[in-house]
Amino acid sequence: MNKWLTLDPLGIFFWVVIAIVSLPSAIFSIDYLKTSKISKRLIMWLVLLVFVGSMTVLVVVNNALLFLVFWEIMAFSSYFLVVSDTSHEKTVRAGTIYITMTQLGTVFLTAGLLIIFKYSNSFDFWLMHRACTGMPHHIKNLVFILFLLGFGTKAGIVPLHLWLPYAHPAAPSHVSSIMSGVMIKMAVYGLLRFVFYILGIDSLWWGVTIIILGLISSLVGIIYALMDKDIKRLLAYSSIENIGVIFMSLGLSAVFTRFQMPYFAVLALIACLYHLINHAIFKSLLFLCAGSVYTATSTKDIEKMGGLIKKMPYTSACFLIGAMAIAALPPLNGFVSEWLTLQAFFTGSAVVTNGYKLFFGMCAAMLALTSALAAACFVKAFGITFLAKPRSRHAENALEVPTLMRTGMIALSCMIPVFGLGSIFILPWLSGIAGYSSGFTPIHITLSSGFSFVTANPGAKFCFSPIAMFLIFSLIAIAAGFLYLCRGSKKERSYNTWDCGYYTLGSRNEYTGTAFSKPFRLAFSFFLLPYRKTQKVRESFYFVKTFSYETYTTKVFKKYIYQPALNAAYKIAFSMRRIQPGSIHLYLAYIVITAVILVAFMRKL
Amino acid sequence: MQIFTLFAIFLSVCLMAIAKRTQALVIAFRIQSFFLFLMTLLLAIEDGNIDLYIIAGLLLVLKVVAIPIFLLRISKRLKASENIGLFINSQLSLIALLVIMYISWYFSKMIFAYDGAAQIAMIAASLTTALCGVFIMIFRMTALTQIIGLLAVENGLFLLASTVSGGMPFIVEIAVFFDVFVSVIIMGIFVYRINKLFTHIDVDKLTLLKG
Repeated sequence: MNKWLTLDPLGIFFWVVIAIVSLPSAIFSIDYLKTSKISKRLIMWLVLLVFVGSMTVLVVVNNALLFLVFWEIMAFSSYFLVVSDTSHEKTVRAGTIYITMTQLGTVFLTAGLLIIFKYSNSFDFWLMHRACTGMPHHIKNLVFILFLLGFGTKAGIVPLHLWLPYAHPAAPSHVSSIMSGVMIKMAVYGLLRFVFYILGIDSLWWGVTIIILGLISSLVGIIYALMDKDIKRLLAYSSIENIGVIFMSLGLSAVFTRFQMPYFAVLALIACLYHLINHAIFKSLLFLCAGSVYTATSTKDIEKMGGLIKKMPYTSACFLIGAMAIAALPPLNGFVSEWLTLQAFFTGSAVVTNGYKLFFGMCAAMLALTSALAAACFVKAFGITFLAKPRSRHAENALEVPTLMRTGMIALSCMIPVFGLGSIFILPWLSGIAGYSSGFTPIHITLSSGFSFVTANPGAKFCFSPIAMFLIFSLIAIAAGFLYLCRGSKKERSYNTWDCGYYTLGSRNEYTGTAFSKPFRLAFSFFLLPYRKTQKVRESFYFVKTFSYETYTTKVFKKYIYQPALNAAYKIAFSMRRIQPGSIHLYLAYIVITAVILVAFMRKL
Repeated sequence: MQIFTLFAIFLSVCLMAIAKRTQALVIAFRIQSFFLFLMTLLLAIEDGNIDLYIIAGLLLVLKVVAIPIFLLRISKRLKASENIGLFINSQLSLIALLVIMYISWYFSKMIFAYDGAAQIAMIAASLTTALCGVFIMIFRMTALTQIIGLLAVENGLFLLASTVSGGMPFIVEIAVFFDVFVSVIIMGIFVYRINKLFTHIDVDKLTLLKG
């Protein structure tokens, strides 16, 4: 309420997101860090405090310069947290990739802000907002592209997603939980603040670009997640998918803002914000579970896990709830927000004309495909990690994690049904925030009709009730249990799995994650470009002693975008080396030449 | 008399340019500083200003006596080769110096077109001294010559300041003197350390240090 800080509904919303994710993660970290030295623990908590604190302040400042300052504090503190886990070379590399990418994003942000500053002569949000009305169109387009690149890097939108699959596996679990749950959402906050509010949606193609980027991100993210066998990298790719979904509804809102259709703009924004908070909850829960599994088995490779459901019942229950929510199973919270997103596209396509009808329909179809793939992905993640027999000695000797770690996970998994079943009470709050931040303040749409029904537009046919769903499901479950108790045999027999008379089934015979994802690898082979390496060791022509088979997928973006760019950068750097030989004499000569040139041009000034 | 000192400064610059050994270079610098002192003393007598007397005295104490002695001592203690390592040999250096002189003269004539010939000559002399210092820094190999080149640049600037604007303010002048003195000592210590570490003070070979 003063010169530097303004607390508005959007800021409060992000405060809620930060609090919901950070508190359980902090509780989790107390036991998670138990094994490390006390001095290191203290430093890590201090940096964590700085990290969370910077985000807390970030969403309430009303000055672009302060925004940048806290943005950078956030970036650097998270960098230190990422590299804090081990001094392994891989971790350091991951940290370097992260900090490089995020600094690249800040460069774009700074450029965009300075361009606006040229018109407003002030860093105050409101004055910048006023100055932007008189800005020429091409400048606005340029600033939009800069902001999209800057915030997109932080969010992990697909061509710029490179740092996510490196930083998240390297970071300690509670840190990746906060980074994935909250930090990448700060990009959405930035877009809402700087593009929606300050810049104002100027052209139709802005929203369309955001939708297409979100679409590509969600598909690419989930396909990569399906292929991956490192549990934390899988979750990182899944974050890319979800941020893509969030961006899709954000872009839809931008399109409708441009069309001057407040109702649909706000509807899409509600879906966006709802999915944002939902993803924050279940993704941080899943990261915490992954951290527990890592603590118990000291491996992140899901092919080496298995059978953990018996050893770690609490962790597996929490992971199951998170996986169900992220796979958008009703009546959990992921379902509500994805349903709203789909409804926004469907009802939206009914009111627009021509190509947009088709475009929105296609988007909705792609979103449905994404959800299906996400479900498959988490069937794999849960099944391979927790079910069947242990695949390694680590998994065999796994123990349930300590109380405080469990507390963090259980606290988060309790939020999932709350945000699913209680959606009827949360939606009015969200619609107020969405109405405020889309600029159509007077509009306040209700997404509920009658008792506990969620609907996209009152009076329309499409609606559902999470509570009724829950009641129906529990009724079916109770009925099934009743039937089982009445009719089923009560005697429990434990026996080996049927093994076709082979008798020595071991963990090596189990279904693996790679095998599970094989159909998807084939279906998306045009994009994944899989290749294999086989090696046979023969004793004679007829007798093969060992046979090894490895399958890989090509990381298309890394190979065809980043690698050439990096090579070009190195090439330029090496050619620059010719004028940078490190000779003091030559440097002195440069100084003199510069001075001489300056003197020679002195007369012209 | 002023013209005579000016001529002597020109000569000392030529001596610096053709010097091949550290000792010769230091002595040339000492001669230059001495004539600078003489010129300041003449100005002081002419002006009767007590400040100028003090500055002249400082010139004598620091640049004619203290710094050359210090440099000579270092060069002896280093036990390095006396040779200062020429990228360009003496004859060519002299020719280059003549070119520099001509350019400075042309330049000062261009800028201070309304002053008398003596004034222009003085400005040309100061520019030549400064540029010759830079020339030595660039085209001589050892680290000691870099210090001496810097000192020559400082001499040239002092001459320029005293001729164009009648000298800088007294406080500034004193401060510059002490700056120069302290920096010479620091650089001397650095050179000593470099020599200890690499057993030579050939700055050109420092390129090997880069990654």
